[in-house]
Amino acid sequence: MIRVADLTKIYHVPQRDPGLGGAWRSLFHRVTKEVRAVDGVSFEIQPGERVGFLGPNGAGKTTTLKMLAGLLVPTRGEVSVNGHTPRLREVALLKQITLVMGQKQQLLWDLPPRDTFEMNRALYEIPPREFAETVEELTRLLELGPLLTRPTRNLSLGERMKCELAAALLHRPRVLFLDEPTIGLDVVMQLQVRQFVAAWNTRFQSTVLLTSHYMDDVQALCPRVIVIAQGTLRYDGTLAGLVERHQPLRRIRLRPPTGYAGGLPEAFRRPAEVEGGPPGGDDALVADVPPREVGALLQAALALCPEADLRIEEPPLEEVFARFFGAEARP
Amino acid sequence: MTHTLRALPTLVRIASAEMTAYRAEVLIWILTATMPLVMLAIWDAVAADGPIGGLTQADMARYFTVTLVVRQLTSCWVVWELNQLIRGGGLSPQLLRPLHPLWFQAVRHWVALPLRLFVLAPIVAALALWRPEMALPLDFAHVGAALLSCALAWCVAFGFQWVFGSLAFWSGQSLGVFNVWFGLWSVFGGYLMPLSVMPDTLRTIANWLPFRSMLSLPIEIASGVLPASEWPAALGIQAGWVAVVFVLATWVWKRGLARYGAFGA
Repeated sequence: MIRVADLTKIYHVPQRDPGLGGAWRSLFHRVTKEVRAVDGVSFEIQPGERVGFLGPNGAGKTTTLKMLAGLLVPTRGEVSVNGHTPRLREVALLKQITLVMGQKQQLLWDLPPRDTFEMNRALYEIPPREFAETVEELTRLLELGPLLTRPTRNLSLGERMKCELAAALLHRPRVLFLDEPTIGLDVVMQLQVRQFVAAWNTRFQSTVLLTSHYMDDVQALCPRVIVIAQGTLRYDGTLAGLVERHQPLRRIRLRPPTGYAGGLPEAFRRPAEVEGGPPGGDDALVADVPPREVGALLQAALALCPEADLRIEEPPLEEVFARFFGAEARP
Repeated sequence: MTHTLRALPTLVRIASAEMTAYRAEVLIWILTATMPLVMLAIWDAVAADGPIGGLTQADMARYFTVTLVVRQLTSCWVVWELNQLIRGGGLSPQLLRPLHPLWFQAVRHWVALPLRLFVLAPIVAALALWRPEMALPLDFAHVGAALLSCALAWCVAFGFQWVFGSLAFWSGQSLGVFNVWFGLWSVFGGYLMPLSVMPDTLRTIANWLPFRSMLSLPIEIASGVLPASEWPAALGIQAGWVAVVFVLATWVWKRGLARYGAFGA
């Protein structure tokens, strides 16, 4: 179980004017600016939960993850991960957690991933049989076969990321902190990693806390989301609840048969009128309606035009977040 | 500690594989530490007109040949590694592992020793042929005490480099300070000249500084300059510096970690 109470991290960032003059002045008068990267954040995560940790760039997501993993010492507040205080970096805790950072690697650069696996086996004291089973399973699930014996430096970003993930999971951690695990991967790899994380969570009941800028990651993996912005918590609840609150309408897209000249319910409009885009050649019409009115509108449309092609669309999460943060930015 | 000991054989194997991957670079590093050969050429010429500080040409040859070997055995580069790891955020993955990052770095130093000795062997043999009268004391007692002294010297050097490397937690760049330290080590550690040729005042200062424990003492033991009766005191001084630097490095490291920004990671 993860417990976070009033978590705060303040950085004192040096400020310096550009150029030689700035460098000279900074020698004698060091100016620092206080940056509240995380400010009074509190939440709890139950064992086995999969939680998306979301927010715009610089919101404090990665800083929070690093404090949960014990890499950063909080300025204020309490953190408890499975009953341990992360900043103490006790071996008992380090053996239960993992932090996968899309932009930083633990694989030994000049050696094949298999060597990093072997090193982790020794460091985490994984019993030989369990190690063999886990490597076999990870190799199968992530399709690592030929990658394990090539030096890490010769692997592509996607291949390296899959090996990173495998190296981070060898000790079967009970808590997974995933920081942008699919960054830079192509769509096929992204899908593979998502499916893998979901399967791993189901198999080992491990807790997953994930940050990602790819909304598909969040949608596929996280029933619950925590949203932070400017270091403070803005939302903690189900993803569905967030969508409902900030994009309460469903979009129905209707395409009448070619040459149809009959009537349609008034709610349907040209996409340009609803979406605000330039008028295009698309002959489909769209209507944004509350979920409880979807059924009635569909019936009305089919009654007038039985051969119409109708689709109900969930609002894209990117749009929901754009509205969420847009609303926040407005005074 | 038992956890660490159990992990060590695997770490040694992995570090050896890494060193093999970097073999050309390691070889170049070994060859950059051949300053004692240059100093031997200079001091040999100076001693040609008569003993300097009581040291003849044969004594100089013995001193700098031993210096060459001891320098390789006590070689340490962790300050550069640590500085880079802290500045670039590469320390983060190491901190997440259930083993102190110190061990990864230490093992990398240890596995390089066989290669270092292998490269040195022909150079030492050539020096022995050039000055056969230098007569290195190769009996069990001298070699054993010298090796123990080298191990302690390496611990002192590693500890101080760990301290200087950890300063990157504060300054983001600690190599400048270390370069000053390296300059002092070269003079007061007996790297550029035997401490015995120094004026008395400087020699007294050198006795109070840690640099003698980092290089000169193992050289003095191995070259026979220091009588066996003084070995226990010398090794005791080294052990004392190991204790001091261990406490200092632990203190700086703990405070540094509290400031770690894990930037770039």
